[in-house]
Order: sequence, then structure tokens, then C-alpha cells
Amino acid sequence: MSVHDLLKEYIESGRIKIDKSKHPELTTYHDPCNYARKSEKTFGHGYYEEPRWITQQCVDNFVDMHPNRRNNYCCGGGGGAWAMPYAEERIHYGRVKAKQIKDTGAKLLVAPCHNCRDQIMKSLRQEYDFMDVEVKYLWELVADSLVIDGVDNKEE
Amino acid sequence: MKTCKEVLMQGETIVLDKREKRRLAGEYPDLCLTCGTCAGGCPVTGVDGLDMRKAVRMALLGLDQELVDSRFPWICTLCGRCEEACPMNIDLLKMMRSARTLRDRDKVPGVMHKGVEMCLKTGNNVGIPKEDYLFLLEDLGAELAEELPGFEVPVDKKGARIMVTINSKEPFAEPEDMFFWWKIFYAAKESWTTTSENWEGVNWGLFTGDDDSMKEIVRRIVENYKKLECEYLLLPE
Repeated sequence: MSVHDLLKEYIESGRIKIDKSKHPELTTYHDPCNYARKSEKTFGHGYYEEPRWITQQCVDNFVDMHPNRRNNYCCGGGGGAWAMPYAEERIHYGRVKAKQIKDTGAKLLVAPCHNCRDQIMKSLRQEYDFMDVEVKYLWELVADSLVIDGVDNKEE
Repeated sequence: MKTCKEVLMQGETIVLDKREKRRLAGEYPDLCLTCGTCAGGCPVTGVDGLDMRKAVRMALLGLDQELVDSRFPWICTLCGRCEEACPMNIDLLKMMRSARTLRDRDKVPGVMHKGVEMCLKTGNNVGIPKEDYLFLLEDLGAELAEELPGFEVPVDKKGARIMVTINSKEPFAEPEDMFFWWKIFYAAKESWTTTSENWEGVNWGLFTGDDDSMKEIVRRIVENYKKLECEYLLLPE
């Protein structure tokens, strides 16, 4: 079962409640190669719409990068590149992604992949000067938006 | 070695000659029209003087070893944008991953092959011992329970609806990032479990082109899943 299917199931069925007011900022979504075009090619279904739907249950202001979905650019950290010794090439690779992100004007970027999140949050933001953009996992966005009955939902 | 002219004089074609020597090319690169669409949309075109179009030519011309020895198949992130754009549907990712497979294991760049070996030996890529891992889960669970009354981390719980793997970087370096999923499971009142052994969710065999190790790592996860009789398997990668 994919993380997208599960999070969608929770929200659709009302098993979890979400408060949109916790993330008022303009938000964009990064399509990881593996969940998007490679999933489509390998399994016959690319996860393009589910994560966008989940994100938009948590935020009101959403903007897509261009190009996106099947044609999206890799963050530059994929295929094990994040764990490889070729940092200079990895950062060079990420310049396209960095420009895509900055061009949206978004202040929050959501990624449902560990590699992509690390490459963008820990590397590209410094290298290409967009430290003002916050980066969250998709499930981090959901967890930070939760309203839990009987629990004091303080801001993180 | 024959010259091109000699080859042509004998009525052979260069491209289809000696196929058995072309371990990378398979049959697909034969279809390449050299249009360069693959290279045109790739952010690392030109690094080390190479690009996907050239890589296809190398495979096709039998320069397998040169490609295997180059850094390019590793600088390529296997993102698949080239393959998506290829008008001839050439299996470019398979070709690049095969080039990784053909590298000697002790020449795989960086830590990934060591991680694969560690995973086969200890059940996770960074070699966290079972006792330390279980202690960490219990400790973090107790910490989260201060916010979420009654929370604890279920380990090896038979019959749970969802079995979850864990990315070893989290217990290793970013343990509190595990709270995100734990909070969601708590809020959803989910029946879930993780496992005390072979819980690694990151399969580096995929990236190093090591199919045998990759399959063994997956086999162990599926074994846990069957043993615990869970309904769904969730790999939050």
C-alpha cells in the first residue's frame, strides 16, 4: 500500500481531521521520479493527483511547478545520488529543480520521498539561496495539520 | 581488428555484428535514431563529456566497459525523464542500471554497497543492533506518550492491519521524524506494527544494480509480513 493511498483513505473516511489554518503559506509539491513517472511505467499508475489532493486538504494556497507530473525534473538526489561521493555533480543536477521551486514563489515545499526531501532541504536550499522555503514530507504536513480529539493541539 | 571498410566489404553491418559482446545494449538501442531528445531534457548532459545519447552509442558500438568504468551511470539519477521522452521507447534506465550492475562491487561509489552488505548481515543499512533499536522505539514512544496519552510503538504485533518498514536514517540520525507517522496512526486509531528484525525500508540494491541482494532484502520483509499476518505493507519511502 502506498503512503498516498493510506493518507487519502484516512482523510476521505474522516478517520483523521485536518486544520488548514496551520499552513496558510503558498505551497508547492515536488513529484518524486519513483512515485510519479517511474511508478506509472512500472506499475501502471503514477501518483500525481493523490498527493496533490492530500496537500490541498492541508493548505488552501497551492501552486504547481512547471513542468510537473510525468514531466517533472528530478531533484538531483535520486538513484542513490544522495549517498554517493559526487556532491558537485549532484548540486549541479539540482539547479533545474531549484529554479523550478523558486519560480513558484511558494514558501512551503512538500515532498513524499526521503531522498528528494533531503536533497532539497539540506542541500539545494543553501546552494541556491532559498532558505526561506520550508520543506516538509507529505506525512509531516499531514501530522502537523492534525486535530486530535482530547489532545491539546499545540503548534509545533 | 577489421576496419570499417573491411566489415562493410564482407557484407556485415557494424551495428549488428558481435552482439554477444554488447552486454549493455540488449536489443533496444538498435532502435536509436540519435535524435538527442533524451540528452536535451537531462540536467547532467555534458558532465564528464557524456550524455544519454552518447551512452546509447557507446553501448551500441560495444564500448561497454568504457561506459561501465565511467562515472556517468552513477551521476545519472535514473530519474527516467529521458526514457519518457524517447520517441523509440528505448529502455534507457535498464541500460544505465545494467552498467551499474556490471561494476565490480568494490568499485561501487560511496557507501551504498557497504550498506547493502550491512543490511544482509544485520537487517538494516547502518547496522543498528536489535537491542538498541528496540530501546530507542520504547524510549521515543514514551516521549510521544507525554503528548498523546497511551501511545506506544507496536513491535511484531501479529494480526495488525498495517506492517510498516522504517528508513534507517531516522533511528540513526533523525529519530523524531518518526513521530510524524506515529501521530497519524494514533489519530486514525490504526492497528499497525513495525518489526524487531529486517525493518529496513531502504533497499540500496535497487541503486547499486544488485538484483540478488535486492530480492533477498525484499524477501525478508515479505516473510515478516506473512508471519505477522498483516493486511497491508507500508514502505514510507
